[in-house]
Amino acid sequence: MNRTKIKLLLGNIFPQLLLILVMLIMVIFLSVASPFFLTWDNFRNVFDHSSLYIILALGMTFVISSGGVDLSVGAVAALSGVCMAVAMQNGLGVGTSILIGLAAGGLVGAANGSIISLFKINPFIVTLGFMSLARGLALIITGGIPIYGFPRAFTWWGSGHIGPLNPPMLLAAFMAALAALVLNMSRFGYYTLALGGNEEALRRSGVSIHLYKIMVYLLCGVTAALGGLIVTARLNTAEPLAGWMLEMDSIAAVVLGGTSMKGGRGSIAGTLIACLLLGILRNGLVILSIPAYYQQLLIGMIILSAVIFAEVRSRKGLASTHKKERSTAV
Amino acid sequence: MSNDAAQGKRIPYIRLRNIKKSFGHVIALDGVDLDVYPGEVMALVGDNGAGKSTLIKIISGVLNPDEGELSLNGKTFKHMTPSRAIELGISTVYQDLALVDCLDVASNIFLGREPLKACFFVDKKRMNRESEELLRRLKVSIPSVITPVEFLSGGQRQGVAVARSIKLQGRMIIFDEPTAAMGVSESARVLELIRSLGDEGFAVLVISHNLHHVFTIADCICVIRSGRLVKDFRTENTNPDQVVGFITGSNRYTEEYTEESITT
Amino acid sequence: MKEKMKRMLAFMLLFSLVAFAAGCGSPASPPASGEKTGTGAAEEVKEDDDEVEKTAAGPAMNSKAQEIEQVLMDQLAPLPEFNTGEKIGVLIITLANPFWVAMKEGYEKAGAELGIEVAVMAAPTEGDTKSQLETLDAMVARDYAAIVASPIEPFNLVPGVVRANKKGIKVINLGPPISKEALKEAGGWLDGRITVDYEEQGAMAAEYIVEKLGPAGGKVAIIQGIPGAGQSEGRTAGAKKVFEAAENVEIVSIQPGNWDRNTAYNIASNILQAHPDIRAIFCCNDVMALAAADALEAAGKREGVIIFGVDFISEAHEAIKEGKLDGSIAYSIRVYSKAALILALKTVQGHAIPDEVFSPLALVSKENVAEFEGWE
Repeated sequence: MNRTKIKLLLGNIFPQLLLILVMLIMVIFLSVASPFFLTWDNFRNVFDHSSLYIILALGMTFVISSGGVDLSVGAVAALSGVCMAVAMQNGLGVGTSILIGLAAGGLVGAANGSIISLFKINPFIVTLGFMSLARGLALIITGGIPIYGFPRAFTWWGSGHIGPLNPPMLLAAFMAALAALVLNMSRFGYYTLALGGNEEALRRSGVSIHLYKIMVYLLCGVTAALGGLIVTARLNTAEPLAGWMLEMDSIAAVVLGGTSMKGGRGSIAGTLIACLLLGILRNGLVILSIPAYYQQLLIGMIILSAVIFAEVRSRKGLASTHKKERSTAV
Repeated sequence: MSNDAAQGKRIPYIRLRNIKKSFGHVIALDGVDLDVYPGEVMALVGDNGAGKSTLIKIISGVLNPDEGELSLNGKTFKHMTPSRAIELGISTVYQDLALVDCLDVASNIFLGREPLKACFFVDKKRMNRESEELLRRLKVSIPSVITPVEFLSGGQRQGVAVARSIKLQGRMIIFDEPTAAMGVSESARVLELIRSLGDEGFAVLVISHNLHHVFTIADCICVIRSGRLVKDFRTENTNPDQVVGFITGSNRYTEEYTEESITT
Repeated sequence: MKEKMKRMLAFMLLFSLVAFAAGCGSPASPPASGEKTGTGAAEEVKEDDDEVEKTAAGPAMNSKAQEIEQVLMDQLAPLPEFNTGEKIGVLIITLANPFWVAMKEGYEKAGAELGIEVAVMAAPTEGDTKSQLETLDAMVARDYAAIVASPIEPFNLVPGVVRANKKGIKVINLGPPISKEALKEAGGWLDGRITVDYEEQGAMAAEYIVEKLGPAGGKVAIIQGIPGAGQSEGRTAGAKKVFEAAENVEIVSIQPGNWDRNTAYNIASNILQAHPDIRAIFCCNDVMALAAADALEAAGKREGVIIFGVDFISEAHEAIKEGKLDGSIAYSIRVYSKAALILALKTVQGHAIPDEVFSPLALVSKENVAEFEGWE
């Protein structure tokens, strides 16, 4: 019994261990290759930059674990930032404005989830629609021109200081801990994985899959809005075009972290490590003065090998799949 | 096993009256009456497309009948819903077993009914402990309750699905082809499990193509043909050849003959 | 056994990937060294020699280029000490735009010429403001004496510049402005700025168009870059002012083309659809102007419409020669990038420099395009 447990546990965290190993190799290599890499200032940069990706990828981990995908997060981040900016421009308090922005993100998320669940439409298409819709709204609200200049209480969320750290890092750490608890230990987390594993089974257990699906996308919308808060506060500007391609970055991090695109399997720790790994990679390439082209190439290669690796590993379960087929054949 | 006299006094767990259902021009069920009793294993047999699956889907609330009614616990319903069926203790172990492959055994058994602690965390320890107890009671052997279901064999999965039905407070358990594509010893274990459920007082309804299996476990056998319930037997009063005759509808005289034999 | 082999295969895949990453990272490997000015300097100096020869035997245009360079150098006097081997980082907008690719080459050549080490970095795409800031942050972590930065929009680089200020790295702003007010608010500053007068660019192009249209005038349209971006707003404002002042000239449409070829193509065809009698289109850069020319060509309405761009990229140069494009506003990329590096050197060596330096402009049209042979 105990051996089974240990084997299962090792099997579960193996991809993450491998990611950590790759990350360590990268850190060692970069430290040797450049004297500027292994400095506190630079590591602070890496953590600071990764925090946005982490927060967005956390919500994305839930969505992908549930067997879906959300392409609208980048646009939702921009829209929420714009909503916060407009609220502040109209004299609302910083706290209220942030809540309005988060609500806007949650609303788009809930709309995503509702349409996907109630009309049974492919999440790819629905969220693609909302990506365009949210981006369009952000452009309309701002008239295409970035809104600039916010109170210090707002910009603190992007560039404030808390000891040696800053609010985005702490927010990311807090959200990651919360997400790990929710995904692995709460009913919501169980149902998220069950949605991805076998939606019909969950429905036949008497669980309202509509409710949980909507909640998954709502959560993702809120994390996207938190991302919007960080970008807007850090740049002290609400740009309608902020968060460009952020959806791709977060999907990449989630998949790299070992969450299955087929759903049913999700790892918050993996997502966290993957975000840091990609952050170190981006930073390292700049530190080594390697042009942007190679960044894209390398990130692409890393994601591809991670996916191939996961697929090869899952073939191990082939034997049991055969058994399953036997028992389900009519 | 019960005898005819006892059957007369008992109250059926569920009573179906004049159930009709059609899909477009195709009539799937054409006025079916059916009583299922607690403590009894009833087998539903019939050719492909005879309406067996439609009937159990109506009982479990997946489909709504066009006409007719279902009564349970003295209440009458025009139709079920999946969640109402579960509330009323009806649970179905489907062909695809409706298990979540990626979750472990205990999580599957408790799916939708997870015990909580501190109002938020799923009480994993309690789930594991109770699952182990339940599986031991059902004599289902699995490597561990924390094994993901995808690593289990067909028979083990069947056992987990049954355990889940019981955990959902099921009093009536419906099996859809429980032994399809299963090995001999594996089937034997599943059949034993089904029989023991009947003995424990559950109302059991089994759909199967395998008459040999049906005769091993069932207390009574109902034959459906072309959407009608053409015959129901006590198992001890019939034989496989006779049942096949009714399934295919080849012999009218057989019908007369059996009716006579039952009434006498 | 089989499973083990598969696992091994997966391991090997990942490790080979890491090895590849290492290969890319090592300065000795070909792709990286090609980008680094330091190691490639000898070759590039040789290229420069070739040009000096060309210059000696070259046509009249060289006097024009030299004239422009001289104007700027006079502005920059006194010159700093060269060949000091200082490391200067350059952050441009994106390498997906030919203009910035040309700027990158300009910087590297000028770096070799001045005897300093130059590394040019860029954001992955023209819209990725956050990545550009992250790139700047990573550059600040290095040992550059100065950084020349061109932001995607006025505010995105502000926090990075403040960090550079704190570390004592000099910051020169080239081209699109970094908002000085935002910087001041954040406790930072610019050590210098070199730019092109965007309004003047728009005005020059518009004046040429108005003159060509003559007293009859006609309908004109403007295709902007990304709304809110400095070059785009400046060029639009300059052109708009001239068009509005001209008699009989009517602006029928001002649309954002986001510096994007495809967007500009679609806008141009839409404008043509709405106004078949359009007489001129001013585009805020050459890429969009070329797209507009293609769109009109495709509709068979290229004749009689004046299309003007800005930047004078080499593709535009060819197009003007072929008559596909009517003209562009040029400023010497070579002079521009060199001037930025000289400004950076001056601040590093403690010279005072003016608040803002403008790079001189030249209007290129089919009438004078011959004079621009070999322009860079």
